[in-house]
Amino acid sequence: MRYMKIKNENIFKFLECLKSYGTLYAPKKISDKSYDFRKVEDVHEVVFNYDRTILPPRQFFYPPKESLFEFNKELVEMYEIFDNKGPVVLFGVHSCDIVGLRIMDSNFIDDEPDPYYQRRREQGIIIGISCLPDEYCFCNVRRTEFVDKGFDLYFSEVPDGYVIRVGSIKGHKLIDPHLNLFEEVSDKDIEELSLFDKKKKKMFTVEGNWDSLRYYLELKGKIPLWIRESEKCLGCGNCTITCPTCRCYDIRDYPNLDSITGIRVRTWDSCQFRSHGLVAGDHNFRETKESRFKNRYMCKNAYCKQVTTSYCVGCGRCTRFCPANINFKKNLMEINGDL
Amino acid sequence: MTIRKPQIIPDAKDNVYDTHKCRLLRVYHITEMDKLFLFRFEDQDKAANWQFKPGQFVEVSLPGIGEAPISICSSAMRKGFFELCIRKAGRVTTKIHELERGEIVGIRGPYGNGFPMEKFWDKDLLLVAAGLGMAPLRSVFLYALDNRWRFGNITIINSAKYCNELLFVRELEALRDIAEAENIKIVQTVTRDTNCTGLRGRADEHLEKVNVDPQNCGVALCGPPRMYKTMFEKLVALNYDPRNIFVTLERRMKCGVGKCGHCNLGNSTSWKYACKDGPVFDYYDIISTPGMLE
Repeated sequence: MRYMKIKNENIFKFLECLKSYGTLYAPKKISDKSYDFRKVEDVHEVVFNYDRTILPPRQFFYPPKESLFEFNKELVEMYEIFDNKGPVVLFGVHSCDIVGLRIMDSNFIDDEPDPYYQRRREQGIIIGISCLPDEYCFCNVRRTEFVDKGFDLYFSEVPDGYVIRVGSIKGHKLIDPHLNLFEEVSDKDIEELSLFDKKKKKMFTVEGNWDSLRYYLELKGKIPLWIRESEKCLGCGNCTITCPTCRCYDIRDYPNLDSITGIRVRTWDSCQFRSHGLVAGDHNFRETKESRFKNRYMCKNAYCKQVTTSYCVGCGRCTRFCPANINFKKNLMEINGDL
Repeated sequence: MTIRKPQIIPDAKDNVYDTHKCRLLRVYHITEMDKLFLFRFEDQDKAANWQFKPGQFVEVSLPGIGEAPISICSSAMRKGFFELCIRKAGRVTTKIHELERGEIVGIRGPYGNGFPMEKFWDKDLLLVAAGLGMAPLRSVFLYALDNRWRFGNITIINSAKYCNELLFVRELEALRDIAEAENIKIVQTVTRDTNCTGLRGRADEHLEKVNVDPQNCGVALCGPPRMYKTMFEKLVALNYDPRNIFVTLERRMKCGVGKCGHCNLGNSTSWKYACKDGPVFDYYDIISTPGMLE
């Protein structure tokens, strides 16, 4: 892997350069407590030390609402439409979110790829950044606190700047035209890097790994936790909207006023909604709130073969943004026997 | 703010969500709620080359209304056209029932894994259908009839709640003349109807009537999950080989290509989608995945 270093005084110049590769999005403080990926107008507004964004980065490749087709009812014809907003340069993505994107890739870019996602993803640029955990994070037990693929550049913090790992050809092409902004990595930087990693390791509130958790989830299908916690649940779907790996969608046809033409639209769906498992004849495969609640835990903790981790990446969003204060992390610890 | 119009992609042939035009050639009334629709692809090449396996399904797309997953119920050996048996149950299927001969719908597919027919070769065949489950099994049955030399004895058990809900009754009754000579056993039974002349009782209560060898027999089941539970118990007790027992599951399949997530089935080691990894699962898939029979 190629390593470079950028000093703090050059970083805003580099962000300015990044704008020429596409629309630059980066974390920005949007309220007292919250950050979100926003389009960067002034590079000095970019926040480097943030806890988590509200919406995960998948929104840029798999938008919450998008038109797939224009249709004509009389001709029974569909015309593919693609809202091409050009390449997205995503700066400041945490390692858990990068793994989240790889999990999205494994689902959407398989032997029958989703063309909308694929086109956006292929032209996108992902620039990762190192971070320190807070009380909601558990990426270490999910093995996502470190990534070695899925990014073009990865910024690791050292006191006077960032050590950059170059993860793809696209990454090299971002570095090479601006070599005057970068320098070689010194021995002191390497020392600082390992100090940062040690400090990070100590900050986690959970230890070990949760590889065997999924078996306990299956075995403990009838423990009182399910009823206790699902009774608190409002079924709002916040946890799935903010999840970096949730990928369920719904497709609806919206006819125009001429009642002949119209558009076929895809929107994010949530397994916490009653309609998620509903089939014709009013049969519902997940009729109760408890079964929908459990379904999310099963889905998130199942094993994703392609990325060799669970579908949950431990970002802590579903706990942080739950209006009913359901603590996903704590519940998993209880199931795992850590409490 | 300017409203940007999304661009239309002229050549969208490789889009997995794109549909192909199919013309409705005939409509048969099966029961009060069910109709059989005969379709043919408008595109000649597509009609000639389109293939499917018994147990697979297509997404029927009515622009402006939506899409619905429907099992194909004709023989996989007859090229050029296919039949769908559709119950009037929801938004899309109600609209399909209003279609008339000559009208056009969009079709994508076939999707799903289908029944492993090659695995059933040189074996006896037991098909058990309950209610609408006869639709996908008709495809298996017709495949077996078209390849009669590949299979041993065949038993088909067709069950429903009421006499007028039994699917393809006349079609199966018409086979009775040749059934004995062809080593085919046909059992049709109803569970609730008291004014019916034929057999009564659930499908599993007629398992002793079969003409198949349990040790060397492929089993295909289609019906409500509750039926699978009792059938599994009885079949295993009767010494049927569990490796040859296959069922097909119903779920909400919006996309058909394992993306939309509605048909997910939880299993700790692999997360499955009924539309892509199924809808046909074997006995061991079912017993190792909690929630499959719900």
